[in-house]
Amino acid sequence: MVLLALFDGRIVMIKRTLHPIAWIAWLTAACITLSATRNPLHLLIAVLCIAFTALICSPQAGMFRYAPVIILGSAVINLLTARIGATVLVRLPASWPLVNGNLTLESLVFGIVTGLALSGVFAAFTAAHRAIPTRTLLDLLPVAFAPLAVTITIAVAFVPATLRHLRQVREAQAIRGHRLRGLRDWVALLMPLLIGGLDRALQLAEALAARGFPETIGMQKRMPTILIALGLGMLIGGLLIRQWAGHILGWMLLLGGSVLVAIAIWQTGHAAPKTRYRQVPWMPHDSLVLIAALAVVGVFTLPLPFIDPVALLFSPYPSLALPRFNPLIGMATLGLLGPGVFVVIGKQ
Amino acid sequence: MITFNNLTYTYPNTSHPALRDVTLSLPEGSVALVIGSSGSGKSTLLRCIGGLVPHFSGGTIQGSVLVAGHDPVLDGPTRMSRLVGYVFQDPETQAVMERVEDEIAFGLEQAGIPHAEMRIRVEEVLDLLDLAVLRDRLLESLSGGERQRVAIAAALALRPRVLVLDEPTSQLDPQSAEDVLSALIRLNQDLGLTIILAEHRLERVLPFVDTLIYLDDTQPGALVGLPSTLAAELPLHPPIVAIAKALGWHPTPLTIKAGLVFSRTVARSSSLTQPSARTEQTTAVIDIRGLHISYDKTPALRGVDLAVQPGEVVVLLGRSGSGKSSLLRSLVGLTPAERGQIIMNGQDIRGRETADICRDVAFLPQDPNALLFAETVHEELQITIQNHTGRSKTQQNAPSKIGNHQPDPDRLLKRLGIAALAQRYPRDLSVGERQRVALGAVLIMGAQVLLLDEPTRGLDYRAKQLLADLLVGWRTEGSAILLVTHDVEFAALVATRVVLLARGEIIADGDSSPTLSASPLFAPQAARLFPGTGWLTVEAVLRGIEQG
Repeated sequence: MVLLALFDGRIVMIKRTLHPIAWIAWLTAACITLSATRNPLHLLIAVLCIAFTALICSPQAGMFRYAPVIILGSAVINLLTARIGATVLVRLPASWPLVNGNLTLESLVFGIVTGLALSGVFAAFTAAHRAIPTRTLLDLLPVAFAPLAVTITIAVAFVPATLRHLRQVREAQAIRGHRLRGLRDWVALLMPLLIGGLDRALQLAEALAARGFPETIGMQKRMPTILIALGLGMLIGGLLIRQWAGHILGWMLLLGGSVLVAIAIWQTGHAAPKTRYRQVPWMPHDSLVLIAALAVVGVFTLPLPFIDPVALLFSPYPSLALPRFNPLIGMATLGLLGPGVFVVIGKQ
Repeated sequence: MITFNNLTYTYPNTSHPALRDVTLSLPEGSVALVIGSSGSGKSTLLRCIGGLVPHFSGGTIQGSVLVAGHDPVLDGPTRMSRLVGYVFQDPETQAVMERVEDEIAFGLEQAGIPHAEMRIRVEEVLDLLDLAVLRDRLLESLSGGERQRVAIAAALALRPRVLVLDEPTSQLDPQSAEDVLSALIRLNQDLGLTIILAEHRLERVLPFVDTLIYLDDTQPGALVGLPSTLAAELPLHPPIVAIAKALGWHPTPLTIKAGLVFSRTVARSSSLTQPSARTEQTTAVIDIRGLHISYDKTPALRGVDLAVQPGEVVVLLGRSGSGKSSLLRSLVGLTPAERGQIIMNGQDIRGRETADICRDVAFLPQDPNALLFAETVHEELQITIQNHTGRSKTQQNAPSKIGNHQPDPDRLLKRLGIAALAQRYPRDLSVGERQRVALGAVLIMGAQVLLLDEPTRGLDYRAKQLLADLLVGWRTEGSAILLVTHDVEFAALVATRVVLLARGEIIADGDSSPTLSASPLFAPQAARLFPGTGWLTVEAVLRGIEQG
């Protein structure tokens, strides 16, 4: 989004986005809302709020593209697997394996409601992912963990690159007459994919070194190396003990090993200080989005005196009945509009 | 600024040194071009400057290299990154971040540059490379030329004293390549930056450089000199130098402007003397009617009609994004047609699998590496036969005809000039050799229709000439060839017909000579030197002058 500001007497455009913490708060609130209720009315309000935010903040993402598939899939699975409910739509023959018996209207409705909640979660994650670049999110880590952040960024970027490469290899093999008819035919793609992936990894490693990563000037390498070796040893030992003895010692070793590895990473990052280019300041509108998200979470999770928690519950079994609606919960859910409203106001 | 002193370097598990006794010295502020055939050690030389060799590759190194008083062998690539900016051939493989601005700032963040200074440096390089308007764009949304300029900007942000570029324009169309080279020249002139680059397409770069470094894998050392004196003595030279050498022009012109001074004095015939190689009208083996292709509702091709007959080499030219590759891919079913009809060898391809179409049509994609994965060159060809026929490698040894064609890997390898490499691991070969292996892998079934997408990427002049000879040979035997390229000099060598695409539409279609000569962007050097003659190649120029 674009805001206007005065700079040296000139009106300039400043590119501003929500702070990543505000986005995370919104995403958390959205997920808690969608998992805390199966009341279709409250669920529908939450999904519409998420849809508004998603469409305003990342209109190109097409986050509801899969909603029909998710809802239909959930409805069909629940219809075929849940045999309870009073209103029988179809009775499948007993001789049919797995799916025999009554298919009920109640199980269909519950499947649709669950599908709606899943679509909302998918849309919320897609919107947040499009709005916050992976790197900005990882910048929330302390500066000493910068090498870890870069490594994760590269790993995340490697996934779509590998998928692109897989498509390239599939095409190249099709050009040579290779047909994908069964699982065995995919084996022929693995070797080129692996070789290509290694090639790209080596090239990227060279490029990173040529750009000064990882920075090793003035760094003491011995201590982090010892800590990593010790930490990994403890992790492996912990896993083995937990697997075969199920002892608490296993958990303690796992915890201790994780701490040592984290200290080693921190030391490595701390020894060669990094700076950050993107510094997103915390602005008043970030506070508003955060407060709205906290309010939503509070209403859906805390035992507040003026909220009737029964309104969040909904079960179509044994026979379908209209869900209850609590206006206060409905109003609180509107807090999920936060990021979208901020963008609309910003545009105006 | 850069000194090599008797540097000899050998990669691990090889006996032949990649660099032998190289001694050279480059002063600060120079622009040096490293040339040589594939495998002559160009990239190795560049990697030594940044310390990537031997730190990444291992191997043994003798002699010394110094960059601004620092020894890259001792310091390693991470430390040298403060002194040497490195730009690789493929901008895709060196990008780390998603957005332009973040990508440029990455190196600065690693170096711990304070935020305020980082802002200044990012703004500087954005302006220097004309990238300010792209600052918030996702890298994946940029063109090849723009991405390469971002890679250069990212390298420059650390304010290196030396910029090293390994074939920076090999994947770009002429206009994008021109943009990148102009940016480099500006950097050299404005900042006094020392630039050293490797490049195969000398016609693009030679006018801009002040030092030429020639590496020859059969000779020790490196030849170093001024381009105007050294260019004519080397076996690899652009058409303008070849013409100057043949006609005795001195001093050797490196630019069209300098060449026109000589060419205007040469007697020539005034008409288009290059004979049309167009074949008689027969049944088209590629017949495209009203083809429309879109990607996410963005049209890539709009109503293209094109017919290619046996005995034709049709070259598709156009800027990046004009729809050339989409057209080629649609012919083998890799990109579905939105509307229109494609008839290959008399058969509508609608509903057919790519694997089925490619039984009669050979398609060489942009990156031949994606095709190669077998243990040996010979096996690559056998795998294609196995895919198409279902016959295992042992069954293939028994003679058997498939249709009218009997696949014979040994004969094809011999024709491709790589019979001696039959038992080698394909990925260990040079770019040109790998490309010929890939050609073998797609041609082994005896296809009479050949589609090639950017076949000269990364090829030196010798490898290009070899490829051109092969294509001309197949054409004269009646094959139909449709190829996409940005390399106008190669197009001039092989094309019988040229089709220009712009924004998904054919804007020109005609015999190669008049079509290329008339295009200000796509005219080869010979046509620019002798406008109005229709001469496209060195051979045509010399023949024309002899006749005139």
